[in-house]
Amino acid sequence: MSDHQSVSIVMIEDDEGHARLIEKNIRRAGILNAITHFTDGTTALDYLFNHADGPARSGPALVLLDLNLPDMSGTDILARIKSTAALKRTPVVVLTTTDDKVEIQRCYDLGCNVYITKPVNYESFAQAIRQLGLFLSVIQVPEIEDD
Amino acid sequence: MMRRVLRVFGASDRAIGRLLITCMTVGFIALLAAGVAAVWTTVRNQSHTDMVNHTYTVKLAIAHTQTLIEQGETARRGFLLTGDGDYRHNHDIAASETWPQLARIARLTADNPVQRRNVAVLRPLVSDLFGHRVHTIALVAAGKSNDALRDFTAEKTARRMYHIRAVLKTMGDEETRLLALRDSEQRNTVRAFYGVLALAGLLLVLVAFLSIATVLRYTRDLGASRDQLRDFAGSLEDLVAARTVDLTRANEEVQRFAYIVSHDLRSPLVNVMGFTAELETATATISELIDRAEAEAPGIVTEDARLAAREDLPEAIGFIRTSTQKMDRLINAILKLSRQGRRVITPEPLDTAALAVTIRDSLQHLLDDRGAELIVEQPMVGIVNDRLAVEQIFSNLIENAVKYLDPKRPGRIVVRGRREGVRAVFEIEDNGRGIAASDHTRIFDLFRRSGTQDQPGEGIGLAHVRALAYRLGGTIDVSSELGRGSTFRVNLPLAYVEPKTKRSEREPA
Repeated sequence: MSDHQSVSIVMIEDDEGHARLIEKNIRRAGILNAITHFTDGTTALDYLFNHADGPARSGPALVLLDLNLPDMSGTDILARIKSTAALKRTPVVVLTTTDDKVEIQRCYDLGCNVYITKPVNYESFAQAIRQLGLFLSVIQVPEIEDD
Repeated sequence: MMRRVLRVFGASDRAIGRLLITCMTVGFIALLAAGVAAVWTTVRNQSHTDMVNHTYTVKLAIAHTQTLIEQGETARRGFLLTGDGDYRHNHDIAASETWPQLARIARLTADNPVQRRNVAVLRPLVSDLFGHRVHTIALVAAGKSNDALRDFTAEKTARRMYHIRAVLKTMGDEETRLLALRDSEQRNTVRAFYGVLALAGLLLVLVAFLSIATVLRYTRDLGASRDQLRDFAGSLEDLVAARTVDLTRANEEVQRFAYIVSHDLRSPLVNVMGFTAELETATATISELIDRAEAEAPGIVTEDARLAAREDLPEAIGFIRTSTQKMDRLINAILKLSRQGRRVITPEPLDTAALAVTIRDSLQHLLDDRGAELIVEQPMVGIVNDRLAVEQIFSNLIENAVKYLDPKRPGRIVVRGRREGVRAVFEIEDNGRGIAASDHTRIFDLFRRSGTQDQPGEGIGLAHVRALAYRLGGTIDVSSELGRGSTFRVNLPLAYVEPKTKRSEREPA
């Protein structure tokens, strides 16, 4: 796991409660990576692209993305990430309440790596997050390449 | 707009009808007048001819009388000169014929006071003359020729003959005058006849002209209004199309709204349920702590703390859980409804009877449990529509019928379908517990139910069925009597027609 310790998790989720529940369950799954949380799209994008600690400038990262954000649609962020050379290999996990087929297809078309629907039932929710944690523990995240 | 045109039309129809009838009446009256005039003229003509004949008869009689008188005179003079018996004989014949002739004239001219007077003047003159003649002839016969001649001369000086001739001439003139009078009368009659004829002809021409003009105008109006109607029909179609677009847009908006709302409601619900679970875990931990504290140091555990940990907290969490679960179900129902509107309809020919039988088979165990029977009346009308949607409508209604049967009597559910014009009408009839009249509309609303709440359900089924029926271009209604049973009637097009407008792109929630 030592390799993955350095992978930081960027969580873009406007609902504080959801963010807290996601974090709790990720921790319960034994994932100890740093989680940086943003509640709106603008600051999240700024961090991703410009911040000194952001994934564009340093270190590998994994993005947990909610689609319903107050200032922009999550799909816009997804499109921006996947169309930028420095970030396009960064895995993006879309975690949202929307289970519309068309929307799911659109996210995969844009390059989303995993799409997870938030179940309302908490047990299922916790289960899903823990499984995501297991998934995160084995996932290979590419290092930043200067090309 | 349409009604006004029709009203104007009706009114002008009546007016034109009245006008045409008036024209025809006037025409007939003109013809009748011409006929009456003709008859009248003929009758007048006849009587005139009779009168003229009469006049000529009278004139002839007068002339004859004069001739007879002259003949008698000539014969007498002949006899006077010659003493020839033939002359005398001739005189006698003429004399004997004169009186009847005079009587005839008197008879013929009985209606004319002038002639009567003339006849009255004539009679004594003739009588005197004839008396003298007889006397003269008797003198001649007695051989007293000289006496006879003297008498004759005396008589000539009396100028009786002149008088007679004058009177007869007056009589003849009188008749001539009458003839002229009658001729002018006759001319007047003919003139009047021609006048009436001309008037009638003029009227007929006028009426014909008026009728033709009216019919022409009516036809032109008819043509104009036909064009107008065609335009109306065109604009009506546009109107319907526009309305359909509006309706579709409104429907789409409602569905999008429902979709967004249901999704946005889900978000906080995730929190409520999530943290309730966290709370539960925490409660378990605290409860455990209380247990341990009770065992190890009972003094520090207050009654309040024990109650809070063991009863209040679990109870509160339980209520939160059931409520959130219910809310989740309701939100899912709204979501399902909104999805229904977004589904693509794929019409295909459907055997509705077979469809109903399939549903019956799938419900057979339930029907057996309740001791109910379901009759599918064959044949049912076939339609072209979305299989899944029609199946859902039927199964929802049939399931409801089974669900709300009256336990007091054996259940009997009948499914039937028939064609009504370009529509198919399906009925699902049951003898169940029925629905109060006040709830007939309400039951189709989301989350609304009717009667005793002794059956599980959220009040979604009928709302769903109605949304489906609308989506398929149909309608649904119910007739029911509490305690007697209900009949749900679904009216669908024989063939589904896609609304003209293209449904807008789906919007993500």
